Amino acid sequence: MTKGRIAATLLAITLAATACGSSKKTETAATTAAPAASTAAAATTAAAAATTAAPTATTAAKAAAGPCSAKIGFMGPFTGDAASIGQEQLNWGKLGLADYNKANGTDFAFVETDTKLDPAEATTGAQKLVSDTSVVAILGPAGSQEVEAVGPAMTAANLAYVSPSATRTSLTGGKLPSFARVVPNDDAQGPTVAKFIAEKIAAKKVLIIDDQTSYSTGLADSATAAFKTLNVTVARESIAQKSTDFSSLVSKVTDDTGAVFLPWQLAANAQQLGTQLKEQGKKAVVVGSDGVYSPKDFSLEGAYVTSFAPDVRGVASAATVVAAYQKAYDDKFGTFGPPVYVAAQLLATAVKTTCKDGKPGARADVTAAMKKVKLDNTILGGPVALDDKGDVVGAKFYLSQVKGGKYTLVA
Amino acid sequence: MAQFVQLVVNGLTLGSLYALIALGYSLVYGVLKLLNFAHGEVYMIGSFIGYGVLQVLGGSANPSVPIGILLPLLMLVAALGAGLVGVAIERFAYRPLRQSPRIAPLVSALGTSFFLQATMLLVVGARIVRYESEKLIDVSSGIHAGVLNISITRMMVIGVSAVVMIGLNIFMKRSKLGKAMRATSYDPEAAQMMGMDVNRVVMVTFFIGSALAGVAGVMSGLVYNRVFHTMGFVAGLKGFTASVVGGIGSIQGAMAGGLIIGFAESFAQGYVSTTFYDVVVFVVLIGFLLTRPRGLFGVPELKKV
Repeated sequence: MTKGRIAATLLAITLAATACGSSKKTETAATTAAPAASTAAAATTAAAAATTAAPTATTAAKAAAGPCSAKIGFMGPFTGDAASIGQEQLNWGKLGLADYNKANGTDFAFVETDTKLDPAEATTGAQKLVSDTSVVAILGPAGSQEVEAVGPAMTAANLAYVSPSATRTSLTGGKLPSFARVVPNDDAQGPTVAKFIAEKIAAKKVLIIDDQTSYSTGLADSATAAFKTLNVTVARESIAQKSTDFSSLVSKVTDDTGAVFLPWQLAANAQQLGTQLKEQGKKAVVVGSDGVYSPKDFSLEGAYVTSFAPDVRGVASAATVVAAYQKAYDDKFGTFGPPVYVAAQLLATAVKTTCKDGKPGARADVTAAMKKVKLDNTILGGPVALDDKGDVVGAKFYLSQVKGGKYTLVA
Repeated sequence: MAQFVQLVVNGLTLGSLYALIALGYSLVYGVLKLLNFAHGEVYMIGSFIGYGVLQVLGGSANPSVPIGILLPLLMLVAALGAGLVGVAIERFAYRPLRQSPRIAPLVSALGTSFFLQATMLLVVGARIVRYESEKLIDVSSGIHAGVLNISITRMMVIGVSAVVMIGLNIFMKRSKLGKAMRATSYDPEAAQMMGMDVNRVVMVTFFIGSALAGVAGVMSGLVYNRVFHTMGFVAGLKGFTASVVGGIGSIQGAMAGGLIIGFAESFAQGYVSTTFYDVVVFVVLIGFLLTRPRGLFGVPELKKV
């Protein structure tokens, strides 16, 4: 009997001590300690220990409710043909969420899903995320064709999803009510390119080649319409992303063609087409869309390229973030990464406003909150606020020229 | 006219590469009656080996050896590497199944193809890498006279392919090994009874076929620049089509088939549509299968009664 009492006392003391030590396990430890102490009625020390443990436990329980923790899905082309974009997006997204957590004391984490820039893969990934009820919002997917593909699943679940790079115009203001983006749409891109080619390059005839993706054909159509209003003759061609050889296509470029506009997604392809133009002695100027913006893969001297975001290396308010990124990853990023940082912050802000007792609100609440988020100053050099369609207010495209392997902003 | 000449140049370049790939299919089919569907991946690996060697030697912008040594070196190392990959494929994926029904090695070939593709994805990643050959050889070099534009790189591709194919022809006709390969192709059992080491002959066949694909891979990298882990699929399919059009099992057939497919693709892109050119290529294949099922140079199979 005595042996049993001593053992119970020791147990109570140990448990009470553990209770004071770790904050997360306090509650369970204190409750277990209490009955143990009552069995050891004679052990006054143990009883005292248990009572001291009790108030500590309640404060600890309140503190545990403090940091809001939530899961945010992250869809991107982490492998596949567009992996260079996907990896950059992944890194910027991680940095964006980590910075947000640090600044706001939240505990948000990503659930990563690889889409390979393939609508079919994206759909499977979206279904997985939708059925995971702990996921309250989604960053991505990257491509317009993927956003279209995942739309029905997201709409049905009223799950907020913000793309950091999908620019197809028809995505917003229509069938995808829970969708938003942090980049401008192609309605802005097509006319920007057309105006520049007509006025600055002064081309009378332009060849537009799409790469048979939804992003590319949409942008090609919008540019074609814009060229018509500027009285520029347009010829259209189309070639698959996977084609080996563009030289037969290049042979169709006539001598009076002033510019070739490539609304493409793979910069290496645009580089090859430009090289083959030179090989065949064609003088047309190459203008690439935002998908081609990649100083590493597209460095055709004298060519132009658009971007939906500025090069953040030149944005003053982004200096600390850029330095942190360069330290953690590398300096090889283009314009696909930084908007992901902003999208991560936008979603995290939305989730945080719905937080209660350490838990995020329902998906519908997050979606409603997302539309009202205003970020006063972002690394893209200005505020980001969404209009009622889910587009960024006042977003515009930028144009750079390749000079000596470097991109120089020209418009 | 200018466009026509350009399309001929493009067709010749593309056709030379397809012919080199087609030779691999034909050689292996000739000896083993096996469709080596992993052949396209061997071509892809050859292209990556060439890229790797190029990077080790300082890259295109600043190579550490003169270009006259660099290019043959790239091709030799890629040929050797691809050849060894081919030998390994034969040893591990096909030899254990040689006595099985024909469908078994075919399935094994497809599996090997996926295995190699996924392995390269793991090893080199999914990024499209570029040879950046424009920094090595200026694209505006070569002949640019009137309607004719042909860069040095293209001349090299066409020239090297021609030399390799002529060399292979002589090898098959004159050398002892070439004769052994032809004998095995004609009747493997009889060849074995005459004291030939059939396993060795098969190994050499795989080595030569795969080495040709390796050379094609490097040349594709030099002229078309982009190298990625899924590039072997379409190239392999076109090479296979070329060997069927030319008459599978026939060496001259593979060369002719390669050129036919190359020209078909080039002219279809130039005059029909850049969207549907593959349709034209495969219509050519279907046309041949319907009218001349054995291909251009194919010989009807002898049936033993």
